[in-house]
Amino acid sequence: MTFASRPPGSSRRARRTVLTIAALSGALLVTACSPSSSGSSDSTGAGGDGKVTLTVWSWRVEDEAAYNKIFDAYEKAHPNVNVDFKAFKATEYNKILATGLAGSSGPDVPQVRSYGQLQGTVASKSLLPLDGKVDLTGWDENVVASAKGKEDGKTYSVPLARQTVQMFYNQGLFEKNGLKAPTTWDEFLAANDKLMGAGVTPIAVGAKDDWTLPIVHEVLAGSRFGGKAFQSEVLSGKKSFTDPDWVASVKVVGDLEKYMPKNVTGVAQTDAQTLFSAEKAAMIPGGSFDLSVLQKANPGMKIGIFQVPPAPGSPSGSSATTAGWADGNFAVSAKSKHPNEATELVTWMTSKEFGQMVNDDIKQISAVPGVEPTDPLLKQMSDNYNNSGSPYLLLTDFRYGAPSGTDLLGKGLQQMLLGSKDAAGVSQDLDTGVKTWFKPSA
Amino acid sequence: MRRRTGLVFVAPALALFAVFVLYPMVTAFSYAFFQWQGTTRGEFAGAQNFVTLFTRAPFTTDLPQALLHNVLFFLGTMLIQNTFGLTIAYLLYSRPRSRRMLQTLYAMPYLVSPIVIGYLWTLLLSPTFGPVNTLLTKVGLESWALPWLGDPKTAIWVVILVSVWQWIGFPVLLYGAALGGVPEELTEAARVDGATNRQAFFKITLPLLVPAIGTVSVLTFIFAMEAFALPYAFGGSTGNPAGATDFVSLLFYRTAFDSGATDAIGSSSALATLLFLIIFGGAYAATAVLRRHERRITA
Repeated sequence: MTFASRPPGSSRRARRTVLTIAALSGALLVTACSPSSSGSSDSTGAGGDGKVTLTVWSWRVEDEAAYNKIFDAYEKAHPNVNVDFKAFKATEYNKILATGLAGSSGPDVPQVRSYGQLQGTVASKSLLPLDGKVDLTGWDENVVASAKGKEDGKTYSVPLARQTVQMFYNQGLFEKNGLKAPTTWDEFLAANDKLMGAGVTPIAVGAKDDWTLPIVHEVLAGSRFGGKAFQSEVLSGKKSFTDPDWVASVKVVGDLEKYMPKNVTGVAQTDAQTLFSAEKAAMIPGGSFDLSVLQKANPGMKIGIFQVPPAPGSPSGSSATTAGWADGNFAVSAKSKHPNEATELVTWMTSKEFGQMVNDDIKQISAVPGVEPTDPLLKQMSDNYNNSGSPYLLLTDFRYGAPSGTDLLGKGLQQMLLGSKDAAGVSQDLDTGVKTWFKPSA
Repeated sequence: MRRRTGLVFVAPALALFAVFVLYPMVTAFSYAFFQWQGTTRGEFAGAQNFVTLFTRAPFTTDLPQALLHNVLFFLGTMLIQNTFGLTIAYLLYSRPRSRRMLQTLYAMPYLVSPIVIGYLWTLLLSPTFGPVNTLLTKVGLESWALPWLGDPKTAIWVVILVSVWQWIGFPVLLYGAALGGVPEELTEAARVDGATNRQAFFKITLPLLVPAIGTVSVLTFIFAMEAFALPYAFGGSTGNPAGATDFVSLLFYRTAFDSGATDAIGSSSALATLLFLIIFGGAYAATAVLRRHERRITA
């Protein structure tokens, strides 16, 4: 049919059809993201050579070579097992894992999220409880909490690594300005002033990315609200986020804004890291997971870390603290065809042998107690946490519902830096937000 | 017989449409009416998941704000994209020699993924290393060197303007085709009767372009209400800074994949259904109005 011979009205109909289809397809963007129905697979994972193949899924694409090396060692000690390691893009992983665990083509041993973000997977009954099979006695309780179901208190995974947050600093820039890592709040402020006077941005912060701000708050003011002591009081209901010490800790971040890059809410975290790596900024609050990124960005720079000293007015007995949490946990899928072999693999992950490989090959601080990182900075972070650690409270205890504590504080701190809210308002919003789902234990 | 042959030809497309469009849509509708524990479906929940969207944090604060941004995005895109698109198409129409090349140039950004566009503009507008602010400072306009994506007052307009910049080729092409369909004898007759160029455009060409304007408007509405990639590239899934670039699709993404809530599938499916109803209802109503107008001008 040529255009000329098209009957009257057909273009109108065609347009209507096009618009309807466009509307339908448009909505597909949001509706298509649904869990898959269970498929069936007759794959047993047993190869012709009688070996059992265990599939391990992870979101750490960058660690694939290290994991393959680690699992090669496991295969040597367990000749009847093949470990097939598959890594997926971190930002897509939650979706891929939910789909994989709902069907039967998922992994035997998935890497799972920790604390609150583990609960959806637990509620789906996708994981095998590991109580009585893996022994986590003697492990840090804050680390063990990452692996548990909130409702039933059972252990569903083995923690892989401890992450800590602290202040990174450029030792060369500090020395050039006659500074050393501060041990008192006054020294800290004096160092900031001196660096600013020398034309260096003292503290690189990427406040455009809200997720970084609760970390910045922990690094700068963890001791101002009382760290670990505050955790037990807020969880029992004795205190809330409107407590004067918490409000003052939020204010500390606002008071230090003058030492951050200009227009800090427009600065992305990657820009902040670039400022630090380009030696235009002297300090950057960050996680242990940032270390390798910072080292690779400027291999010639001598990086040090320190705990920010307690701000004036900190609760009595409060000392500088290093906040931490566990992540990268591994679990056993409830649909695994080889639950015994899969459980044996995650049990091996509690061994010092595996822990040492996590330190040396994956370059993370192993969650296994008594294992020392070989990298001196990682060791310092690990020692700081062991000696004066506290939980990264909003992650370890306030991500069990929506809105999460980290989301609320991230947004609130942005509002404070933009001047639309004060510390009391930010703290009030955090308190109101988490109370929609959080119930104190007492 | 012809009808049956036709059906054979469209069957593969229909099958694909049914499997990849209809089936996920219908299942998502059904998910919205159940309780969920992770990926395990629980009991029938009636309208509870929809009630949640209007009564529970963070939806009570985030949903109105996100929806407002979608509407603002639609209005901004609509006004700027349609006006500039039509102007450019009209100017190109009177320059047949360079039309093809310029149309292609205008459509170029359209071929690049919105995620890439967003990333590139984030780099260009960075207050620390971005060339835009460096240039403004160098030419003495330091007060104009704003934290474009760091200030809620400017961030949403950056999203709108970059989107217009990327998609301007689309209305240019559509209006270009529609202008070609306006019979020349009508404008010539008007000129013979003494009409100026301006009068001929506003009294003859523009009214005949209304169906095309309507089509562009409806497609822009659908596009704006489901906006995801560009806002995500600019402000992440939380609509940084402080929710200033939050959109309903981002809220859906956060609820479904980032919240960690055990009932995420129920509430996110309800949100997807609500968004679908808004898009479908809006598009249907606009198309109905458009048809009425078409009937009037063709009668």
